[in-house]
Amino acid sequence: MPDLQGYGSLLIDGLMMTLGVAIASMIGALILGLAAAAGKLFATRPLRILIDAYTTIVRGVPELVLLLLIYYGLPTLVQDTLGGMGHDVTLTINPFAAGIGTLTLIYAAFACEVYRAAYLAVPPGQREAALALGLSSLITFRKVELPQMMRYALPGLGNVWMVLVKATALISIIQLPELMRNADIAARSTQQPFTFFFMACLLYLGITLVSMWGQGRLETWASRGTTAGAL
Amino acid sequence: MNEPLRTAAYGLAATVALTGAAWAQDLPEKLVIGTEGAYPPFNYTDSEGNAQGFEIDLGNAMCAHLEIECEWVTQDWDGIIPGLQAQKYDAIIGSLYITDERREVIAFSDKYYQVPARFLVPGESDLEISAEGLDGAVVGTQRATSFERYMNDNMPGTELRLYGTMDEAYLDLGSGRVDAVMGDAVAIQNGFLSKPDGEGFEMRGPEFTGPEWFGYGAGVAVRQDDTAIADAFSEAITALRENGTYQEISDKWFGLNVYGG
Repeated sequence: MPDLQGYGSLLIDGLMMTLGVAIASMIGALILGLAAAAGKLFATRPLRILIDAYTTIVRGVPELVLLLLIYYGLPTLVQDTLGGMGHDVTLTINPFAAGIGTLTLIYAAFACEVYRAAYLAVPPGQREAALALGLSSLITFRKVELPQMMRYALPGLGNVWMVLVKATALISIIQLPELMRNADIAARSTQQPFTFFFMACLLYLGITLVSMWGQGRLETWASRGTTAGAL
Repeated sequence: MNEPLRTAAYGLAATVALTGAAWAQDLPEKLVIGTEGAYPPFNYTDSEGNAQGFEIDLGNAMCAHLEIECEWVTQDWDGIIPGLQAQKYDAIIGSLYITDERREVIAFSDKYYQVPARFLVPGESDLEISAEGLDGAVVGTQRATSFERYMNDNMPGTELRLYGTMDEAYLDLGSGRVDAVMGDAVAIQNGFLSKPDGEGFEMRGPEFTGPEWFGYGAGVAVRQDDTAIADAFSEAITALRENGTYQEISDKWFGLNVYGG
């Protein structure tokens, strides 16, 4: 165990911040992504174009740019505009909320594509059979299509989660002391970069290992009822 | 009172207010000050997560002199000016050098320190520090700094490697990927040469201070409509230099006076 010179608690604080932001953003991305996927598949044409524009723009613009625009750009724009009209306002965006909001917005776009592909992978005969049996459209989706599409979606969603965990390292730019920022502070304040970056590396690897284990469990659960090896 | 006289009286009153303690009534009771928290010994973060360093001590002394309450927040370097503009804090005391480019977007107090830039090389290297001597050599420095601009403008023949932090540049100097590193003389001394890793390395060549690139020293940065706050800090710097407090704080952290020429 390397000597952390008392900076260990700073790393743990950073780890907690990273996990907090990552988990909250992932939950948001799962919900918003499913809604966006439903929109892409079933909504009216204008709404579909809107959602297409959202996923294209968000997946094409670097995360860092979006973070900067939302956390710094938006308040500056509002304050300067209203200030120019004689109103002195301070728009405060909570950095935690801004970080989660931005990451949710970005990763929902990725999750949306995973859901869409998974839905399309379920044979249409499943839906037709359910409808022929007299099930309502909603019940058909919830009881027949959703369980089957989750099996296809899980590997892709697991991938989104792992990319998201590493993307949290960007939120230090909006004053959130996450794991990477705190490792950097400790490394530079003690002049021992290897010690602290190595510790950060181990902690990220730990998150990944736990995630892989959890994903394996989830995939087994989602595949219950299918023959081993069958798609 | 007739009209010209009244105008003159107002003018006089305004002049008195400007030359006197104009800032006294304009200053807020509490200021939030942003700093990087990762540039020892100027500013760094202790194991409790609190900001420490020369600039923190000096900033607190200035706030005490101005009789205002100051709170410190740390902010990643890349977002330090956007954070000020978005009113996340009211001033930056974080080794932000005054340059004409930065003056277009933010306002500064007078300088509170100015350390010359110098080159750091391995002791056994025979590199000569001049535009000719460095032609074709690989030099590392921190991205988006005065050092980068100086190198681009004055030593176009040098291959420049840019790093997010000076520590990364030191690491590459240690591993031989760059021939020399350009940076702040005090930061190089305290951040590298005085550490075990710095053994066998030395600073070489002249001290670079050209204001066109290195500005006018580090100043307290504020938003452009807060010049009253900047003026108050300028006054505090002068006062602390006169009463010996500045010398005391500078001695504590560097063993020398870093105010510069």
